[in-house]
Amino acid sequence: MRPPKISVEPSQNLPQLYRFCYLMTGDAGKAQEAFQATVREAALTAARGEPPQDRLWFFRDARWRCLQLSEEGIQAEASTPEECEVSPNAAKQIAQLDAEHLAIWISAAPDPQRSALAAYYLDEFTPREMMTLLEVRSGELSNLICSGRRQFQSWLDATTPHYDDE
Amino acid sequence: MSIFRMSRREKALARIAPVTEKPGTDRRTRVAVLRAKRSKAMSTEFAQQQAFDKAVVAVVQTIPVSTEVAEWFRNEKLIPKTKRRWRKVARNPAVLSVALATAVIMGVITLTVTERLNDFPGSSMAQKMLTVASSTRGTELERLETSAGGLGDLFFMKYRLEHYDVPQEFADIKTAGVRVFDDDEGRRVAQISVPEKRMQFFIFPAERNPKDGKPKEFSGWKYLEHEGWAGVAKFRAGVVFMAAMRGEEKDLAPYVAQAQ
Repeated sequence: MRPPKISVEPSQNLPQLYRFCYLMTGDAGKAQEAFQATVREAALTAARGEPPQDRLWFFRDARWRCLQLSEEGIQAEASTPEECEVSPNAAKQIAQLDAEHLAIWISAAPDPQRSALAAYYLDEFTPREMMTLLEVRSGELSNLICSGRRQFQSWLDATTPHYDDE
Repeated sequence: MSIFRMSRREKALARIAPVTEKPGTDRRTRVAVLRAKRSKAMSTEFAQQQAFDKAVVAVVQTIPVSTEVAEWFRNEKLIPKTKRRWRKVARNPAVLSVALATAVIMGVITLTVTERLNDFPGSSMAQKMLTVASSTRGTELERLETSAGGLGDLFFMKYRLEHYDVPQEFADIKTAGVRVFDDDEGRRVAQISVPEKRMQFFIFPAERNPKDGKPKEFSGWKYLEHEGWAGVAKFRAGVVFMAAMRGEEKDLAPYVAQAQ
């Protein structure tokens, strides 16, 4: 059963952290587990007098927790997804999706592409912060995001094709 | 070649540019985005990319949040706020420009104030004499080897220049040559060359008050520097005596201090 929607401030970090966990795992239960474990860990380190240095600490910690949790249960088959150019109608195709489908698609991607897509589509970080978070160079990050876009477009074309109104 | 032609690196940066503008985005990415928007080859692709990304971000923002998870959002204060580091602020071109402009203005003001502090009545003429000193050759002066202190009588007897005396601080110094000339405003100037440290002495009329025609006085020794030359001047009885030499104020100070 899908959890009820609750309005949250988009500028706050913890809602974004939860969204990140959701995109990484594609599962509300696993996302909640990783999210709560990260916040709990931050509270514990803060209580020890060594609070997290910055917000990236939260996302870095959550990333590894999500990857560990994703290894449990059914695994997606390793395959090379098809790619195609981003379509001018992509926005309309995406609008037909709900968050759950998007999260399932992103969480099925291999890491570090999965982390790169999850972090990028939070629209929370600058490219430099993303490179720090994911420990990749700009060229590698660009390749991960770019091929993710093309693969997602290919998946969209297969699942939610768009037909021009004649 | 168009200035909007994009390098491979810029294309890579444009492909990972933040979906919405962020204050912390670095300059390279901002430039790459600007070029992608204006590039003939890339603008369409970039516009489609932005539309694609915005649509995905809109879906991400609709991720459902359970009540149980939302309660944890109260811990927001655990996340430290990002502070702008002073180094980053200092590297901002706008801040650098303002700092540089302020430094230049402060420098000009300081220089002007310092010059004003060192000014004394007749200092502009003294400066001109330093320029004369720097361009004078020994052959231009009439050869005369004597004590500088004795030249007052010569100036009075030969040129009818009253009070053109060398102060006692410099009176014992031996001279090498002497001349009297009119400056560009017709004022009589006595110039004495001295072998010691290749100094030159100048004696010229003090600046006069245009209202009453009286000479403007100043007390004690006043220093000035101009074009690598230093001078020390003293007013007495309507005339100014100035000793000049190539160097700085500190080179002349011992002569004046010795007498004091």
